[in-house]
Amino acid sequence: MDGHVITGAALANCLGIDNRTVFERAFAGADSFLPGSAFCDLPFATMLGILPGAAVEDKLLDCVVTRLAAAALASVRQLQPAVRAAVDRWGARRVAYVFASSTGGLEETERWLAPDPRLPAAGLRYSYADHGIDATSAAIARRLGVEGVCMALSTACSSSFKALASAIRLIDCGLADAAVVGSADSLCRTTIFGFHSLGLTAPTPTQPFARDRCGITLGEGSAYVLIERDVDVTRRHALARVAGIGAASDAFHHTTPHPEGIGGQLCMRQALDRAGMTPNEIDCVSAHGTGTRLNDAAEAFAVNRVFERRVPLTAIKSLTGHTLGSAGLTALILAVESLRRQEIPATLRCTPADDSLGVTVVDRPTPIRLRHVLVNAFGFGASNASVVVSQPGGA
Amino acid sequence: MTGTTIGSVRILGAAFFSTHHASAQDLLAGRERAFTPPSYGLLVGRARRFTSLLTQMHIEVCGALQSIAAEPPIAVFATCHGEIQTAEKLLAEFREGAMVSSARFALSVHNTASGLYSVAIGSNAPTTTVTGANAIAAGWLEASLTALEAQQTVLLSIADEPIPAALQGPSEVGAAAAFLLGVAPGAGRAAQLVVAPSIERGRTPSPPAKPSGPLPPDSLRLSIESPDINPLQVLARAVDAVTRDEAATVPLGRIQPGATLELRFPQDARA
Repeated sequence: MDGHVITGAALANCLGIDNRTVFERAFAGADSFLPGSAFCDLPFATMLGILPGAAVEDKLLDCVVTRLAAAALASVRQLQPAVRAAVDRWGARRVAYVFASSTGGLEETERWLAPDPRLPAAGLRYSYADHGIDATSAAIARRLGVEGVCMALSTACSSSFKALASAIRLIDCGLADAAVVGSADSLCRTTIFGFHSLGLTAPTPTQPFARDRCGITLGEGSAYVLIERDVDVTRRHALARVAGIGAASDAFHHTTPHPEGIGGQLCMRQALDRAGMTPNEIDCVSAHGTGTRLNDAAEAFAVNRVFERRVPLTAIKSLTGHTLGSAGLTALILAVESLRRQEIPATLRCTPADDSLGVTVVDRPTPIRLRHVLVNAFGFGASNASVVVSQPGGA
Repeated sequence: MTGTTIGSVRILGAAFFSTHHASAQDLLAGRERAFTPPSYGLLVGRARRFTSLLTQMHIEVCGALQSIAAEPPIAVFATCHGEIQTAEKLLAEFREGAMVSSARFALSVHNTASGLYSVAIGSNAPTTTVTGANAIAAGWLEASLTALEAQQTVLLSIADEPIPAALQGPSEVGAAAAFLLGVAPGAGRAAQLVVAPSIERGRTPSPPAKPSGPLPPDSLRLSIESPDINPLQVLARAVDAVTRDEAATVPLGRIQPGATLELRFPQDARA
């Protein structure tokens, strides 16, 4: 893999709708979850990470900006200056747009086929074009002024890392010099009820890797990065380097992880190999860390196998909720901010620790020398991906 | 012919399935048959329950190529609409006030077929799922670039099931095609992936500034796919071209504004 630098990053989630707010609140350990009833009527208890500004009331306006688009646009607005600079550098047709989501426009179809009784049905418009994963792609690409290759991927919770890998391939093969890699997922009742039906939602805020962990807190939001060839002109603007990406399958079960996290082990090792690094060079692992008993146990096993030491582990879903297709890039952007601050954000509610897991979870904001962070994104479909992100100078 | 060649791959095998056509050639000739479900033999036991027509068709065509692959390949799946029938059934459960079926929800993600496939064959190789209006072209692009990058065999499976009438989408026959892509010279049918017209390489003049104001009301509803691409015809033409020695060009769909990805088969390419 040739060098690739991240020259722009933007995210929005329940912590806030701009980078500054998200970073301040994340590194302050702000708890932003709301009861599920703030989103819809639920016959069970759960907490949700709801995107500010994409609240239920917005849907009453019958606006064409769907909840998915609202989530995406919160990041797109922030990324626009960096993308404009990339277009100036390379030309609009040399900047690709690769988008990822797990649910896509499902919420829009849900409003049409199974409207929420709390919302008026009259006045709602529906177009099947709003359902697809790429429902917003053409418009957002145009909004950003990019005219390069446009594609969309969906591999559940590893989606955004698969999109990042695809974007890098486009650059490496000469089809693009830069790529906007975006991801967004919006809350909808299908997702909330669906995860509950699988026994995966927690009634209380998620507690990744804790002894008493009992499930996921679902969230929504978006995360976008601008990635470019690592050359002199882009290096000056680099926030971080993508050092290596790995991907692998569990070959075990569609929704349940292999107990030893086989796919996770393979993709972490592959990411390290491609980065030309040994496990000892990684200063922190940003875990997938969903807070379910099986997922965390499998990931802890895999991390222990790969690292053979107590590498500091953080689980940002305790702050953002599980943003599904956006989860990977959300964690990656927070890792980039960690590299800048030289600080690991706290994993909320991770104590009392589950000693059987044998991992060291960072339970308070921790200043530390950070050069390389490995970020995991694992998902349904036995789909696993890892990314090593490094300081821009390669320190 | 103009265009920019992205790379060359060898197509080691191709398989086709349609609920209403016995073969790719029948589809191209307009010969229909009564609805025929896939047999999806790779899935056994519990894995067969609740699987959609989409997943069944993916598994059907992947299974047909199973004996050709020397080892579990990297797999790229492509679908324009994803598990649309499963999504509609989930929403029907909602409408009727029932709780969501856990099995149905678990199988509603776009990468259901790729996940079940990797589990069925015990593969740790990575899989991905390309989707959206230009999924056929983007799937070919992803699979070819992956094969060239990894220097490994890649399985490409493309499928879509009919969209439920309740969703007001375009009516379609269910169809699937799979291609096993290799990079080693000599084996299989050679094919070039070409972007037409030619893509720009290197620095180009800055374009005029784009409007940055609010999006017009319908702008979020636009697709990048060109309406003249018929997905069924594209799949059938690609499979048909693999089986012939003749030169052929198969437009796969738009890959960026104003540029189409094509699969070009030279006449004398068969090994």
